[in-house]
Amino acid sequence: MSLTLAIPSKGRLMEKALATLDSAGIVVKAGETRSYRTSVEGFEGLEVLLLSASEIARELRDGAIDFGVTGEDLIRETIAEPEEAVEFVSRLGFGQANVVVAVPDSWVDVSNMEDLGDVAGAFRARHGRRLRIATKYWRLTQSFFTRQHGIQSYRIVESLGATEGAPAAGSADIIVDITSTGSTLAANHLKVLGDGVILKSEACLIRANAVGRDPGARSMGDELAKRFGV
Amino acid sequence: MFSATTVTSTEQRIGQALDELFDKRGAEAADTRIVLSAEPYLDTAGEALRRRIFLTRGEGGENLCLRPDFTIPVCMRHVAQGADLPKRYSYRGLVFRQRADGPGEFVQAGIEDLGEENRATADARALADSLASLEACGVDLDGLDVILGDQGLFEAVLRALGLPEGWQRRLIRTFGDERALEKALDALSKGAEDILSELDPQLIELARDREEGALTRLIRARMEDAGLPPHSGRSPGEVASRLIEKVAVAEARLGADALSTLEAFLSVDCSLAKAGERLGEVSGPAGLDLGRAMTVFETRNLALQAANVDLNRVRYRAAFGRPIDYYTGLVFEARLNGASDTLAGGGRYDRLLTMLGADRPIPAVGFSLWLDRIGHCLDKGEGAQ
Repeated sequence: MSLTLAIPSKGRLMEKALATLDSAGIVVKAGETRSYRTSVEGFEGLEVLLLSASEIARELRDGAIDFGVTGEDLIRETIAEPEEAVEFVSRLGFGQANVVVAVPDSWVDVSNMEDLGDVAGAFRARHGRRLRIATKYWRLTQSFFTRQHGIQSYRIVESLGATEGAPAAGSADIIVDITSTGSTLAANHLKVLGDGVILKSEACLIRANAVGRDPGARSMGDELAKRFGV
Repeated sequence: MFSATTVTSTEQRIGQALDELFDKRGAEAADTRIVLSAEPYLDTAGEALRRRIFLTRGEGGENLCLRPDFTIPVCMRHVAQGADLPKRYSYRGLVFRQRADGPGEFVQAGIEDLGEENRATADARALADSLASLEACGVDLDGLDVILGDQGLFEAVLRALGLPEGWQRRLIRTFGDERALEKALDALSKGAEDILSELDPQLIELARDREEGALTRLIRARMEDAGLPPHSGRSPGEVASRLIEKVAVAEARLGADALSTLEAFLSVDCSLAKAGERLGEVSGPAGLDLGRAMTVFETRNLALQAANVDLNRVRYRAAFGRPIDYYTGLVFEARLNGASDTLAGGGRYDRLLTMLGADRPIPAVGFSLWLDRIGHCLDKGEGAQ
């Protein structure tokens, strides 16, 4: 019987995830170079995989892994009904970043979502097209704009990298992006709207909803969750 | 649970009844494809649709979707073919939407009425034909709640109250979304002073003095610093004039009288036969002149009577609307008494055809019927004649 846990495969997120596991008594040694398998000590039957953070969110959604460490932003973006599909076991206190709505700082008349709604509503009549938002977070954007703020008139331009450059490049008017210090936004002459924080994200330990898992694996999972104070 | 396409025998029967009725009413059947470009949908109805439609990508990266409704493809077909107006198109076929409470494919039928300059007549025909359609299906009209709203009247009340344009736009945007409208009214009654605290005092000064030129120069310099493309998106002048308006709106107040008049208007909920009188009770004492919008409303009521719609059967709700910006006037819905599912719904969408590429404004009104829901009600013996 085994249980799978995926952690980010590189960078600070990986280091911090390894440290978190270590303080829960689970010692993970990454295998040889470029291997995504690891050796694990301190929890019988646990297999730890190294995957990209966004892949971890997808695998949790599909129930292909039992646990994962990844950003809350990716979970909420990837999974339509996160509260049903997964369980947030523990917030891990690293990888903090906010998903925010940012507009050019020259838009001196726009300081909150209400202003943005007004600008978006009149945009088509003035410019012959909808207000464009560059983002890789279409689900979070749509739910924030439409459900929370009743803004219907905008278009999402999917952006896979360097979203903050989209307004200067002319491919979008504003952006929704993740930021930890805000310095990249400031360097690109963008400002975050006063009520434009969509999500305060951090790395979380997430458990897939174990539909169809046998009781043995389930109780193993409960044991693992307990190590993280649940 | 998955179920294959289950067009029941009831649905088949009502489908045939509707084909005959639509033909009799002079509507031409319009064929449209099932796989459509998603762009017109996302562009007109908005991104909110993205999670409710079946979206896929073509090999060339273009967004495609399975037909989520007929209005847009029927209108696009008209724009492409450029047939003479006025013209009525009918349709019946599968539409595809992601929904939690039923299969992702179901049958809709309806009529789109394009180019009729006599809006009262066309409005009345849309509502009368949707009720006739339900009757032809075998639904007992006595068991229905028919609700009618009119965005034109709402806009006229805002104008007559003399609200600043910024406020009018804000309220119009929320019309039909009760929660958002309430929030906006609440903000208006409190005044908007705190909005100014978010702004640079130097800018507020310039905006107060209506120094549009100085503001524009300042904003243009910031845009150049940021390397924003000069000829696309918001211009410096546009930002400057909206800032001036924003400061003026923040410093204006909505008087208690105006607010209570607006609230009294929004709470009007009565039979259409009594609506004129009720609206008079709200607007009269406040000295509001609803002008042309009231004439439009009353002319439509006369046209409805001429089309044999009993005004006592229709409920007018002043706050009823759809928060999609191509709807412009009449909206209506029919449900079984006390039920939440709409069996038939329609409205006027005078802005849609130009959005879809028509070279001049084309008045348009239409309705659609949910055949799966109607069939389901009839099979359960609810609402049958």
